[in-house]
Amino acid sequence: MERLPHDPRPWPARRDEALHDPVLQATLRRVTHRLNTARIQAYQNYPAGAEARERAKHRKREAVREWEPLLAQAEQQITAHGGQVFRAATPGDVGAYIKKVAQEHGVQRIIKSKSMATEEVQLNAQLEATGFAVRETDLGEYIIQLAHEKPSHILAPAAHKNRQQIQALFRETVADAHDVVSDDIPGLTQFARQKLRQDFLSADMGITGGNFLVAETGTVVVITNEGNADMVTTLPRILISLVGLEKIVQDWDALIDIIQQPALSGVGQRLSSYTTMISGPRGPESWEGPDEWHVVLLDNGRQAIHDGPYQDVLACIRCGACLNVCPVFQQVGGHGYGSVYSGPIGTVISPLIGGMQTFGELPRYLCTVCYACQEACPMDIPLPEQIIGLRSQAVAEDREPAAVRTQYRLWGQAWSTVHGYRRSVQAARIAQRLALRHVGLAAGWLKTRKMPPVAARTFLEGWAHEQRRRRRA
Amino acid sequence: MPQAAIFVTCLVDLFKPQTGYAAAEVMERHGWEVEVPISQTCCGQFAYNAGHFAEAIKLAQHFIEVFESANASTIVGLSASCTAMVAHEYPELFQREGANMGLASEEVAQWVQRATVMAERLMEFGEWVHGQEALALPAVKPEKVAVHHGCHMRRVLKAMQPTDEALRAYGAELVEYPDETQCCGFGGTYSMIEPTISTQLADAKREALSQAQAAGATSLISGDWGCLLHLSGRMEYEGDRWPVLHVAEWINQREKMSAQKKGE
Repeated sequence: MERLPHDPRPWPARRDEALHDPVLQATLRRVTHRLNTARIQAYQNYPAGAEARERAKHRKREAVREWEPLLAQAEQQITAHGGQVFRAATPGDVGAYIKKVAQEHGVQRIIKSKSMATEEVQLNAQLEATGFAVRETDLGEYIIQLAHEKPSHILAPAAHKNRQQIQALFRETVADAHDVVSDDIPGLTQFARQKLRQDFLSADMGITGGNFLVAETGTVVVITNEGNADMVTTLPRILISLVGLEKIVQDWDALIDIIQQPALSGVGQRLSSYTTMISGPRGPESWEGPDEWHVVLLDNGRQAIHDGPYQDVLACIRCGACLNVCPVFQQVGGHGYGSVYSGPIGTVISPLIGGMQTFGELPRYLCTVCYACQEACPMDIPLPEQIIGLRSQAVAEDREPAAVRTQYRLWGQAWSTVHGYRRSVQAARIAQRLALRHVGLAAGWLKTRKMPPVAARTFLEGWAHEQRRRRRA
Repeated sequence: MPQAAIFVTCLVDLFKPQTGYAAAEVMERHGWEVEVPISQTCCGQFAYNAGHFAEAIKLAQHFIEVFESANASTIVGLSASCTAMVAHEYPELFQREGANMGLASEEVAQWVQRATVMAERLMEFGEWVHGQEALALPAVKPEKVAVHHGCHMRRVLKAMQPTDEALRAYGAELVEYPDETQCCGFGGTYSMIEPTISTQLADAKREALSQAQAAGATSLISGDWGCLLHLSGRMEYEGDRWPVLHVAEWINQREKMSAQKKGE
C-alpha cells in the first residue's frame, strides 16, 4: 500500500482543470482571503497570542527534537490510565490494527472526527474494503466523503465547493434529501446535523486524530469548531485516536501556548470552539466515555524526516495559514497538488512521506519562492528553503530533464568567469539575429510574454568603453 | 569623497543598461565616487532557487572574488532580490552545501567568513538613496505612481520603507492597489519552467495594478527588474501601455527635473 495517496493525473492536467473551474476559482479566492484576513486581525488584536506564538515555536521545536523520551512518557501515561498504545510504521499497519480491534468487538458502524492522518493512511478506504460503515462527522469531511473526493484544504476540506453544489450533492446522495429545500448555509448545516445525529447514536466505534499529545499526562487533545469530536469520543463503545509522532508536546504549559496557534492562524479565533481531551477510557467511577481507548502512533516516514535535514517541518500544527497566503494555492487549490497535503506544507511533506518519484513535481512546479508561507507560518518553518532543498535533491538524483540539467550546467560554467559571460552575451546576440530565441528555457517565457533583446551595448560593455575613452582623453 | 561599487545584476546589464546609468548618475550627483567592477556577472540566484547548488556556489565564489577586489567598501545592488541572495543566502549556501560541493571544511569556513563580510558591505539601491539628502525641489509637481515591491524586498530584506520614503521625498504619491503583498509570479526560472501559473499571477497583478492606473498612477516602479521584465513583458504582450521603471531611473528623472527648474 502506498505511503501517501496521490492523484495519478500529471500536474498540467490537474492545473488546467482547476484553472478552468469557475466555481473553484471563486470559492477558493473567497475562502483563502477570508481566513487570511482573520488570521492577521486576530494576532493584531491579541498581542498575548503573538507572545504565546514565540514560546510555542520554541517548545514545539524542542519537543520534536527530543521526541523519543517524550513519546515513551506519553505511552507510559496512557497505559497507566487504561489506554492501549500501538506504534504503526505504515498505513497498512494502521488499517490492520484498527480492523483487528473492530472485529474483536463486533463493530459495524464507525464514526470519525476530522483527521489529516486518517486521510494520509486512507483509513476509510481500508475499513470500507473490509465491510465497515464509516461516517465522517466534520461537515467539510462529510461533504467530500459523499462526493468521493479528497480534501482540497487542510483545514477546510470542502473549500472548493459552493453551497449550491453542496445542496445538489445532498439531494443526490443522502436519503430523504428532499428535506434540503434551501441552499442557505444554516439550512444545509441543519440538515447535515440531523443526519449525523443518527450516525452518532448508532456507532460502535469512534475514530479521532490528535492535534496534540501531552507527554506529561498522556492526553490526546483534539480541537474542532463543530463539537463533533466530543460526540465521537463519548458515544461509541470503542475509541481509537490516530496520532502522528510529531504531535507530541511536553506538558500543559507548552500546550497552553501551542493550542492557541492553530485557532489564531487557521481561523482567526483565540481558541477553537471546542477542545476535546482524552486521558483514558471510562473508569470505574465515571459514567461516560468508551470501554476501550487505543492510541495508534503513526510513523509513516516521520522518523526518517526527524533524522534528516527537514526536521523543522515536523513542527507543523496543520493550521493551513501557508495555504491561504500561497499564490499558487490560490490559483489551483488543494486538488491541484494531487496530494491530501496541499499548499506549501504539502509541497514539502508530500515528497518527504510519499517519495520524490511521485511528488517531485510539487517543489518544481508549485512554488514561486515568494516567502509568503514562511511569513505566515506560526511555527516559522523555513518552507521556501526546504522547497529549494527538495529541488536540489531532484537535481542531485538526476530527476530533471537532461536538457534542462545541461542548460544550467553550461550557464553556471559560463557565467562564473567574465570571459564566459561575455561570450554568452555574444552568443545571445547571434541567436537573436537568427531568430533562435524560442529554444530552451526561454521558450516557456516567450509563449505568454515579450522579452527585450540583449542591449546593443550592455551596461558593463558601455561602462568599460567609457572608462577607456576617459583614460585616452 | 565617499565611494561605492555598483552591483549591476545580470538583468540590468543585459536588458536594461539605462538603469545602471541612472543609478550611477544619481550616485555621482550626490557626490559619490562610483566604481563598477567590470568582471561581475550574475549572483547565481536563478540557479540557487532552482536547486542547482553547484552552479550557485560557482557564481557566488566569482561574485565574492570580484567584489573583494573593488576599492570601495560600500556595494550598492540594483536589485532587491539579488541583494537578498548575496546578503542572506550566500553564507547559508556555503555553510550547508559547501561540503557537498567538494570544499574542505576549512575552505567552507573561509567562504562563509568571506560571504559574511560581503553581506555587511552590501546595500540595496533604495536603502542607499534613502540615506542621502533628497535633491528634489518642492516646485516639481508631485507624481502619482504604483510601486511593486518584489517578495525578496518585502519578506527577506524587509526594506520597503526606505524605498517608499525616498520616493516620497522626491514627490512620489504612492497609489495603493489590492493585494500589493502578492507575488507577481516571476520566481526566476519558475517563469519559464511553469509559464502557465506564472502568467496567471502576472495577470492577477495586472488586474490589481489597473486600479492604481485608474486612480491616476502614471507609471509602475520597482527595485527589481526580475519582476518588472516579467510584468512588462506580459503587459506588452497583451498590449497594455504603461511606463515601467526602476527606482533609480525614476529618481534620476526627478533630480533632472529639479535641476532644470533650478536653472530656469
